[in-house]
Order: sequence, then C-alpha cells, then structure tokens
Amino acid sequence: MRIVHYVNQFFGGVGGEEAAGSPLEERAGAVGPGLLFEQMMGEGAEIVTTLICGDNHAVEHQDEVVASVVDKVKKARAELFVAGPCFEAGRYGMAAGAICAAVQSELGIPVVTGMSEENPGTDLYRESLYIIDSGRQTAEMRGVMVKMADLSKKMMNNEKIGSPSEEGYLIRGLIRDEFVEQTAGRRLVDMLLAKVKGEPFESEMVSTFFEPIFMSVAVKDISNAKVMVITDGGLVPKGNPDNIEGMAATRWGTYNLEGLDDLKSEDYEISHGGYDPKFVQEDPHRLVPLDALRELEKEGAIGELHNEFISTSGLGNPLSNTRRMGKEMVEKVKEEGVDAVILTST
Amino acid sequence: MQLTLARHPVTEINFGDKTRLDGTSLLVDAEELRALLLADDRLQSVDLETVRAGENCRVGPVFDIIEPRAKEPGSSPDFPGILNTPATAGMGTTHVLDGAAVTVLIEGSVADTEGRVGRVLEMSGPAGEWSPYSSLQHFIVAPHARPELATHIKLNATRRAGMKAVVYLAQAAMGETSAETTTFDAVGPMVEGREGLPRVAYVGQIFSRQRSPEIDEKVIYGANTNGMMPLLLHPDEWLDGAIVPSYTLSLGGAETYFYQNHPVITDLYRRHEAGELSFVGTVATIAGSDNEDRDRNCQAAANLAKWSLKPDAAVLTKFGGGVPHSDMAITANLLEGAGIRTAVMVSDMAKDRRIESALLFNFPDVDAIVYCGGVDTIWKVPRAERVVAGHPDLTEALAMSQEIGAASIVGILNQQGATRLRAVIY
Repeated sequence: MRIVHYVNQFFGGVGGEEAAGSPLEERAGAVGPGLLFEQMMGEGAEIVTTLICGDNHAVEHQDEVVASVVDKVKKARAELFVAGPCFEAGRYGMAAGAICAAVQSELGIPVVTGMSEENPGTDLYRESLYIIDSGRQTAEMRGVMVKMADLSKKMMNNEKIGSPSEEGYLIRGLIRDEFVEQTAGRRLVDMLLAKVKGEPFESEMVSTFFEPIFMSVAVKDISNAKVMVITDGGLVPKGNPDNIEGMAATRWGTYNLEGLDDLKSEDYEISHGGYDPKFVQEDPHRLVPLDALRELEKEGAIGELHNEFISTSGLGNPLSNTRRMGKEMVEKVKEEGVDAVILTST
Repeated sequence: MQLTLARHPVTEINFGDKTRLDGTSLLVDAEELRALLLADDRLQSVDLETVRAGENCRVGPVFDIIEPRAKEPGSSPDFPGILNTPATAGMGTTHVLDGAAVTVLIEGSVADTEGRVGRVLEMSGPAGEWSPYSSLQHFIVAPHARPELATHIKLNATRRAGMKAVVYLAQAAMGETSAETTTFDAVGPMVEGREGLPRVAYVGQIFSRQRSPEIDEKVIYGANTNGMMPLLLHPDEWLDGAIVPSYTLSLGGAETYFYQNHPVITDLYRRHEAGELSFVGTVATIAGSDNEDRDRNCQAAANLAKWSLKPDAAVLTKFGGGVPHSDMAITANLLEGAGIRTAVMVSDMAKDRRIESALLFNFPDVDAIVYCGGVDTIWKVPRAERVVAGHPDLTEALAMSQEIGAASIVGILNQQGATRLRAVIY
C-alpha cells in the first residue's frame, strides 16, 4: 500500500515558527510522525513520500500548495493520503483540511487527518473529511496514530465506518440511515432507564442550533414605504403554475396583485402538506392579507403595496435549500425597490 | 383491570367450507365472511385473498393491518366505539391469532391515486425482509364501496369492514385451547411493593391536528379527537382496541397491529415484570393545530402525568408529521421542569442529510432522543410474481420492478416504535 503523508515544518523537522515560511518540499519515505503511522499500518504499508510545508507558506499560498500536493500525490500513485495530526495548530489544520479535501475530491482515494475540536480547520472541513479527534496534547501522538491507522485500514478495505465515538473521529454533522438490531421502542425505554438512573446514555440525535438572525432596523417612514408580502404557506394561483412542491419546495413563485382588491378562493390553491389548509382555502386573505393592506394603502398608512407577492411552501425543507431561496428572494425584493416585507407563515 | 391474551398460533390460512381453526391452520368460509361484510350496504363487493409469509407477492394500497383478535363473551367489547358501544377496553380475555394479520386495502383506481400505489405490503425480497409484516400469514380484505359515496363514508366503511373481518376470523379460536395464555401484571400508579424502582409513564400522541379528522373518522373509542384533551388510559386500553390509526399518516407508519402489539407499552410491561421499573400508566394525547391548542394540550398532558401517575420518568412518542415533534418536546420539557426525566422518539426529516436541517426543537433537558430514519432508504424491488391490488387498475403499477422508499413499505417506518431503521449521525 502506497501512502503519502503531509506534515508541517515543525513535525517535518525543518524548524519551529522561524521556519513557518518554508516552501513545500518532498522527501522520500516516512518522516517524524510518519514513522509511527507506517508502523501502525503494519506490513505492506509504506509511506513513499512525505510532503513538508511551512504553516505560513501553506496558508498564504494555499491554492498553489494544494494544487502542487494533489499533483505530487497523483505522481506518487498513492492509494492513501494522510495529513497531520495537527492537534490545535490552526494554520496547520487549515492547510491540511484544504489539501485533504482536494486530494479526496480530485483523486478519489481514502484520506485521513487528525485535529482537535477547537482547530479552525475542523469547522471548515469536518463535513467533508474524516478527522480523527487528536485532542490538543501532542504527547498523545501514539494514541492518535493508532486511531488514524485503524480508520485508514477500514477505508482501504471498504469496511463500514462506525460512529464518531467508535472510531474516534470528530462528528461530521451528517446523517445516514441504518438498520439496527433493537426496535426504536426498545431503545427509547433503554435510554430512559439509563437517564433516570443517572447512568451514561448516548442520545441518537445531537442538539443543533440556528445562527441568530437579528431583527432589521425599523422602517423610518412606513407611510412612504413600498410593502411586499412573502409567505411560506403555499398559496398559489389555481393550477400551481410554477409547480411549487408541497414539501421540501425547491422553487418559489411571484404572483400578481395588480388591480386586485380581493383574493378569491376559486382563483387560488394551497401547495403545502404540513397544515390544515381549509381556512386559507376558504379565504386566502388569512395568509396573504391583501384586503387589509389595500385599506392601509388607501388610508395612507403605508406608501404602497408592491403589485406582487412571493409564495413558497415551508415544509420539511433543508436549510441549504431555504438559505438559497431566501437569498434569491432578497435579490428580487431589492430589484423591485421594496422597503418593507411582511412575512406570513402557518 | 386485567387483560388476558389467549394466543393461538397460526401458520397457514386457507379458504374452506367452514371457518375454523384446525391446529395451526385457519380455514375461512369466504362466502360467510363476504355476507357478513356486505351486510353494510355502503359496500357493493369485497375481495378476499390469502398471502403466505415470505411469498413473492406485493399487496397495496394498504389501509391498515390488524391482528385477528376476538373478545371472549363477558369481557370488554371488540373494538369499542367502532363495532360496539364505547365501553372501556382491556378487560377479560382476548383470543389472538398469533402469526396472522388482516391487511385491509384502500380501493384506489389509477385515476384516484394518480398512478401511485400508496403504501405497499412487500412480502419478500430486499425490502420485505426488513418489514415485520412479511413474516406473518395475511388475510387480505379489499372492500369496494358504492362509487357515489363521499370519500369519508367509503373510508368509514373500509375501517369497519376490516374490524369485522378481524373479529370474525379470531372467533374461530373461541373454545379452542390456546397455546399460550398471558395475563399482564397489574400496573398503575397505586401498585404496591415496587419501592425503589423508577416509576415510568408513557405519553403517546394518537393523532395530529395538522389535518382535521373526518366527521366519522374513528381514532379513540370511535371519536375523531375533535375537542379532545389529553386522556389517562390504562395500557391495556391501547392494546385491546380502544385506539386505531387515523386515515392520514405522514413520516412514519402506524397500524392497528402495533397498537395491539404496542412496542413501547409491551416493552414497559416486559421490564415491569422483570422488576426493572414500575409501569405507572399512560396518557394519550394529540398534536395541536395551532400554538394555543399546542400549549393547552402539552400542559394538560404533562399535568395529567405528573398529578395522576406521579412518575419519575416518561417516554414520549409522536404521531404524524414534523410539527407534532414540537408538541412532544414541549410536553417533555414541561415534565423535565417537574423533575420527571424523559426520552423522546423523533423521525428524521433532514432531506439534505445534514444535522443543521434536523433541528426540530432545542430544549437542553430534552436530551435523550431516539432518532428514526427513512429519508434515504430506497430499494429497487424486483417484479413481483403475484399482486393483490385494491383496484384491478393498479395491478401492473404494483407488479413492476420499481424504486420504492422506506416510507412506502408498510412496517419499515413505524412511529409506534416498531421500526429498526435508525438515522445515524456521523
């Protein structure tokens, strides 16, 4: 098995911080921690090339270094690429992460690295890579290398990769389906009993959190503002002309309100599988309050109502999707010179 | 209150000239059963079939799967509120045809279903092997209602036909010696002699008000949950016909079979009997249609559990789609606030397979979560040798080799707790 190993100037024995600007160099065979890794991998495994680069150089010339490493790994006919472990060294982690991600996507060979949870490279690359949790202590090198080697062997043999706690990698934040021995009902009672007895238990779902979204500043003069309605309640013209999906919608539509004072039930339908739509179907103003907004427009309470509304269906939608649609809607809102948006949901 | 299950193993079902249990072989007089079902004049015909465990056969669209059970005279009634007056379920002896199931089909033509085959019973092959239903002997009931009837009336007639068939078949076991008789231990808040064991309650949703139920939909004791507040139930009421699943299911199945063999309740019983815990009872609740509904129900469910059952801990399950997770988590959080430890069961909904999209609630104390999968489990199933269709127009659509997701194969996903498909975070 041909392996290429990437290390920084410190672990490559070039020097400390004073050598952080040293360029990428190539050495035959294993160097430093690579010797340990080679030993852990057992017979038949050989680090054919060690690539060493100064931390500053790698970060400052990242594109160039990444391209060069990919090229060298390819030429070395490597079957496995290993970087680090980087522990909590930030520049080292960022460079190793970028290099590993590129080698993985461009060469399609197994890639393993190691970092601490706090390493900035972890946040950037945890989703795309298997990063063994190295902790912060370089003294733990041996234990980290055992885990990196074990995971490498599994990847090389196309074996099933277990959970983060079984294999020692940092949670990637991804989900996959798996059939298990015990039913959900049984696991539920097991977990509860452990919890109530104060014994350790592992929740099958980790808590996640949203980035905070801050309230925009108030509209200075609403009586002169152009107001628009955006809804995720799925109100669309009869026939759903944009084919907005009732669940996990990938599309949104813009629908005309020009010259309308009233949304008639028979002209609209609801594409949304997650709430009881009968009240909105009965009277669409319950979701898109055109009637009230026309009155406010007449009274001069708002400057004007924008002559179209935006609609999509907000059900079972992954954030990657809703973020994209949100950005697209913002573009549209800006283009139309809208000052204020009323968002209605269900 | 004490329920006894008299189990009669069934290893084959065949048509015969008289309905009876011959050893472990169930013989069914199709004409007698047909006459019984067609006494309901909302039905114009009914198809009856048998399907063997593990047979190369695909069946659909599935309306419900029910274990054949019939009550011994003098016990509480069969399916109270559906077939009988809504008297308390769970008392006396219930005869069970163990290893058998009645699978009731929806009558949907290709036009009604837009060519979709709905939920299917897959009896063999790569997908079938993961369904607990593929190892049972099935008796298929496909009722055909008069076409001019409104949909809710057709559905009501379908529900009733299934229940009638189940009781009719299981009555064959009446008077026969059962292979095994199980009487559940006495459980409840006042059971004595269990000091030192954690007192555990079950708080389960039985309906989601994301959709208004049909006026004549049967969910609990024949009621459709309109105006329902959380309700204290003895565990045996769940097991013995008080609750049936609603017409609309999303994100995970629920069948009458797994109320009768409720995975959470039977596991709590097992551990109660093993001396691991003291099972103090259950609360049946619903997921609200709006925030006020939600607040009222969650508080009432938590208070009912807290004051009436005095548990140390509670397990919670949800019914329906995504929103019911909120109801479940809010209830769990209220229980945690009252010092009652909780564990909850959720369905994965993250279509992009990233945990940031999996967030359904975030209460630090609701930290024991069982995470059920299904989003990315899809099989390419081979052409089925035999098909039993709710409507002949669907035969080819069912038979053909096709890609079919976990949610469409009955028994793979199950929000009552029978599923073994887990969503794993890595």
